[in-house]
This record gives sequence, C-alpha cells and structure tokens, in this order.
Amino acid sequence: MTTDGPTASASASAPIPDPGRHLTAPTTRSALRIQHQLLFSAREFLRGNGFTELLPPIIGPVTDPGSRGSKQVDVDFYGHRYKLMTSAILYKQASLLAFDKIFCIAPNVRLEPLETAGTSRHLAEFHQLDVEMAGATRDDAVRLVEELVVHMVDSTVRELPKEFAELGRDVDAFTELLKGSFGRMRHAEAVAELQEIGHPQSPDAELDWDGEALLSARRDRPFFVTDYPKGSRGFYDREDPENPGLLRNFDLIAAEGYGELCSGSQRTNDYAEIVTRMRETGENPQKYRWYLDLVREGVPGSAGFGIGVERLTRYVAGLDAVWQASAFPKLAGVVSP
Amino acid sequence: MSDLSAPGFPEEEVRRRARAGAAAAFPPPGEYGRVLFGAEHGGARWPEGEHDPLDTLRITPPVLMPQRLARLIDLGREPDYRDVELTTTIGGFTSALPVYVSALGSTRAAGGDLGLALSRQAGALGIPMVIGENVVPVNGYGRQGEAVDRALLGRLRAYAEQLPDGRGGVAVQQSTEDADAEVWNLVYTDPAALPLLESGRLAFELKLGQGAKPGLGGMTVLDADAAARVGDRYGLDDVFGDGRVLRSSTPGTFTAEILRQQIRLMRNNFPRARVWVKLHPGRDVAEAARVAAEAGADAVTVDGAEGGTGWAPEAFPAQVGLPLAECLRRLAAAGPPPCLLVSGRMWEGGRAVKSLALGARAVGLGRAALLATAEDPQTGLIRFAECLALELRLLISALGKYAPAALDRDDVWAPYFPGIPAAG
Repeated sequence: MTTDGPTASASASAPIPDPGRHLTAPTTRSALRIQHQLLFSAREFLRGNGFTELLPPIIGPVTDPGSRGSKQVDVDFYGHRYKLMTSAILYKQASLLAFDKIFCIAPNVRLEPLETAGTSRHLAEFHQLDVEMAGATRDDAVRLVEELVVHMVDSTVRELPKEFAELGRDVDAFTELLKGSFGRMRHAEAVAELQEIGHPQSPDAELDWDGEALLSARRDRPFFVTDYPKGSRGFYDREDPENPGLLRNFDLIAAEGYGELCSGSQRTNDYAEIVTRMRETGENPQKYRWYLDLVREGVPGSAGFGIGVERLTRYVAGLDAVWQASAFPKLAGVVSP
Repeated sequence: MSDLSAPGFPEEEVRRRARAGAAAAFPPPGEYGRVLFGAEHGGARWPEGEHDPLDTLRITPPVLMPQRLARLIDLGREPDYRDVELTTTIGGFTSALPVYVSALGSTRAAGGDLGLALSRQAGALGIPMVIGENVVPVNGYGRQGEAVDRALLGRLRAYAEQLPDGRGGVAVQQSTEDADAEVWNLVYTDPAALPLLESGRLAFELKLGQGAKPGLGGMTVLDADAAARVGDRYGLDDVFGDGRVLRSSTPGTFTAEILRQQIRLMRNNFPRARVWVKLHPGRDVAEAARVAAEAGADAVTVDGAEGGTGWAPEAFPAQVGLPLAECLRRLAAAGPPPCLLVSGRMWEGGRAVKSLALGARAVGLGRAALLATAEDPQTGLIRFAECLALELRLLISALGKYAPAALDRDDVWAPYFPGIPAAG
C-alpha cells in the first residue's frame, strides 16, 4: 500500500486476489471501515438536511443510457427484456413525486469496455450515493455536494485515525478539502488547460480518463468541472438556455490524480425537450414509455448527483485501485465471485 | 374481367393493383431473399430518353501528361498500369483498393452461408466491410447460442479471421431498433472484437438512410413465425394478405442538431472506434454531409438512388432520390467531406473511376459483392475484385495518373451534365 497516490500503482492492474485473501487482508478491512463511516456520515448529514432515504429498484424495463461505451445487462423478466440498473436517474426524478428531497445508496451494473480493467478506477458493479432535490438548480447541487463531502471526510478522519494509520494514508492530504471550498472550472477551461500541457482533449467530449487524472494530479483539493457540452452526456442533463450547446451539469474530481468522484446536473423535465434530447443521444423514445408518460403528466424540475461510493472510498483511503474499496469486486471481463 | 383496354396506359400494372391491393406496391413477395432490387441498367427505371448520368459520362484521358513524367522520373522507366497504387485510406482504415463492401443487414439474401462467405472473402481482400442494421434484433449477436451463420458475431469472426495485418476494418451499423439492443455497446465491450478495436479497425456507422428507399427504414418480408418473434420491436404490416408480413424499421428522426449530437456522442462513448455516417441521396445531401464532417465523422457515405436493396416498394428505386452523379455534383459544389464514400450500382471500373473523379474516396459494392459470392462462395468475390482492380489500374493510368486520389473532375466529361465543364 502506498500513500503517494495512484500514479505509483502496481496493484492496479494486478489480478484480484481470491475472496478469502481479499476479505481478510488488513487493507481491505480498513478500506471497508472507512467506507462504512463515509456512508454513515452521509446518511447523518442528509437526514439532518431533510432528505428521505429510498430503496432504489435493481431492475426495470429501461435504465440510464448515459454511460460511456458500456453495455447494459439484460434480464429476462417473465419474457420481457428488463435491465439491471446502470444508475438510478430515472427513478430519482420519479421519486420526487413522493418527496421533495430524496437519497439512496444504489447498486449499479455497467459492462464497461475491456480496457477499463486497467484504469484503476472502473468497476463493472459499483454503488452510487444518489441525491435528488426538487426545485433546485445546478449550483444548489454543487453546494450540497461540497458540504456533504466535507462532512463525510471530516467525520471519517476524526472517527477512524487507526484505519488511516493502518493504510499509511496521511490525513494532511485533506487539509485543503476540509476548508470547505472546492475549486470550480468550466469544461472549456479544463480543455484549454489540458491542451496547453499537450494532452489532446476533444472540446466536444467528456474529459478522457487520462485528462481527468492529469488535472486531478495538478490540484491539492477536489474541484468541480461544470458546463459539459451536449453530446457528452445523457438526455436528462438540462441544456443551458443562455448558452445553447452547454449543459447545466458538473463532475466533482478528486485531488492527487484520483479522478472523478461524482456527476450531477440540473435535470430536464420538459417532455418535448426530453424527446428531442433522446434523439440527440441516439435513443428510441418508445422504450422509455413509463418515464415519458410520467414526464408528460409532470415531474418537478430538480437537480441532483451521484457520488461513486467505491471511488470516494478509494480517494479517502488512498488506495491504488478502486477494486480495493469493494468486498466483492468485479472488473470488466474478469470472472470473479 | 371486361374486355376494356387502354393502349399506351400502364394497363397491366393497374389491373395488378386491382387484383392484389396494397401488396402490388411491392415486388411479388416470393422474390424476397432471391432477387436483389434497385435501379436498372441504363433504361427502364429512367424516364424515356434519359440515362443514369454517371453512365453517360465519358472518361477523358489527356494527351499531355505531366504526372506520367513525374512517375517516369520516380521509377527511372516508363510507367504502366501496373504502377498504379490502389491502396487507399477509407474512413480511418487502410484498404487494398478504393473499394469497400456496403452494408448488408438482416435481409435474407445476405444471411446464412452467403453472408459468411462474403465476409471471409472481404477479409482476405483486406477491404473494409460494413455490417448492416437489424442483424442483432432479428438474428442475435452470437454469444447466447444463436445460429452463428446468421448472427453478427459470425460475420465479424469470418471477416477478422481472414484479414491481413494492417488492412481492412469493420463498420457496424445501428438502427433505432438496434439501439434498443445496444449493438454498438455490445460490440465495443466484446472480447471477440478486441483485436479489431486495438488495431484501430473497428468503426460504427450511423445510418440515416439508403439509396433504394430514401426516407424509409429497412424493410424485409417475414413469415408468421419470424414476425411473432420481433413484433414487439418492429412495425409489422399485413400488406401481402398471405401470412407473410412486411417488417419495417423506423428511419429515425434527424435534424442538423440531432445528427451533430449523435456523432459527438459516438465519439464520446466510443473513443477508440471510427465514426462513419451513411446518408440517403436526399436533396440536402451536401448540407447533411457537411454537418456530419464538421461533427467529426471519419467517413460520410452517400448511397445514390441507384443503390440496391433486399426489398423496397417499387415506387422508390424507380422514382425517389437523387442519382449518385447529382449527389456528387452537389457535394463538390458545397465542398465535399474529407472522406466521401459512395455506392449505387457499382460493379465495374468505369463507374468507380468516374465516382472517384467526382470527389469520392472509395466506392461500395452491394449487389455486386453478393452476386460474386453467390457465383463462387470460395473465391468469387476475390476474382471479381481482381478484375475490378485491373480495370481501375488501366483506367487511372490511361489518365496519366497513378493513384485514385489523383483523379479529378477534368478526368470526366459529358455534354449535358450540369456543373461538369468539358475538359480542355
């Protein structure tokens, strides 16, 4: 185990150990205790701020299409093709019909491209801390993530000094984070910075994994990248009416090269706009019937986000690879329990 | 039946419609899977006295040939047709010829052994191949025990197994219904496609339409059993009234913004795959091609109205869409996309050379590839390509040029073809 960030990773591409060895390793236990505390403190914070925890569905006729190059898992549901959830986004929006502020800790399955097995930061099965609030803007969501992450890290650092010592993770790495103000930059500024240092980042696409890691390695606290271009995200991110072509969305990227922790946005809730955006993302509106029927009747405008639980754990615990933050990790193309 | 007649009027066609109703809008359904449709040579499908404008063009070698001198200096001997270098970059792939195999989708004619034999030969030739739409929803992908000769994976493997290093590549189409089956995501994450992906020889083709039925989606004829299997995904229409049904996929809704964003999303989601875009010969083909190229498409394919198909309503090949030559004229006038691929009744060197001279990078073989494979499943397409390559070399060298990219509009002439001045 190293403390000098993921660039020194040797175990990242190493095969996952058998479950017996993995589960009994002190590193795994410390990482999972840190994860436990992160989730405990997140629940504490969100409940204290009026959020209701819901249990998200695992299967449904349709799921989030907005994940880069990954395949969904089909489930035979009494002869109907259902999907395992790739994210809870559609249900999060729908849930606002019951409560104005909701959260869930949702399992997601994405059959990621095989190349992601070696990125240290992709799992085929992972969890998201999903939050959605009615009537909120993108900037409201950004502020909430900031406060939530500070609370989670602060609580974990205070409660579990022994685990950090066991992992050799220097908690001084969070000095800037705990001051509570994360950096902010627009996607266009991130592209310009990457191009300036010689990284060929497309201005029309999401930041690629190398680019994200480069920006992350140049910073000592997490930072937001906002205003991604259309064509890089799913149909549910709202287009900025004042800046057509840009979306009112964001990613939160960790410091020290750990890369993306969280994605979020203000949501589109206008029926015609959603149908048009579905076409722009190559989707067939017909298969989203239940969701579109609901939107046509009216769902509240909202904003929300999903924090990758294993990714946040990896960053806080200073792990080489994200699979170390899972008790039963699944990597792209690797057969494991 | 009365003894009424109408000389000079399409009496028999009218009577056929009176007998068969909506089924008469199509060729007899018994021909499905055995006959390939599309514009006919030179005559019947064109109005009286008119011909396919590409066929009426003449290839016009000059007398004085500075490029031949350059080749002579380069070689230190007189160049001949064997010195024409046909290797061409097509949509990010390196091809042995300025030729690719056009999309063959779920149509019965391209299924089974013929589709596999064609894939093997295209691979051996080192020319790119497009796998058409609707194969996965109709025949499956091939990992779950589906008949491998019909599934997409079968064609992919047959092609890749024969492919020489550094040559060729596969472009996989995805229709609206394919999107429900996530065909691109499936291929992009499949271990079997990894060698193609890692060697930069995988592309995804966004299909906006095809030449034989511009504005419509893919159509096939299904028997009742097959129709029952796909009825939840496709439009089915009982136009034939004999148990067989017309299966249509939707053409998809596109605006300039939808096209632009879909291409950007393809580049975002599949950064290691090339992006191809296929257009039907619409009146705004130049505008659509410009949008596609600006959004980052590696190749823009235009299928002229002469394009073939497994199935189409008769009004379409006969009367709908711009001829390929007119598409090329409009594209040239507007500034063509950097890599323009064209198809539509391609089968011999002359038509190919004219297309290249009018701005295309390469030409697609559809019906010709299927027929050549049907003639000899082992080497029919290979021998066919041998003949085509020789014709290309002869014609290009006759123009005093030694690479397809050197051809330009001065190399063709027609008395009445607008926008193409007589050379010299």
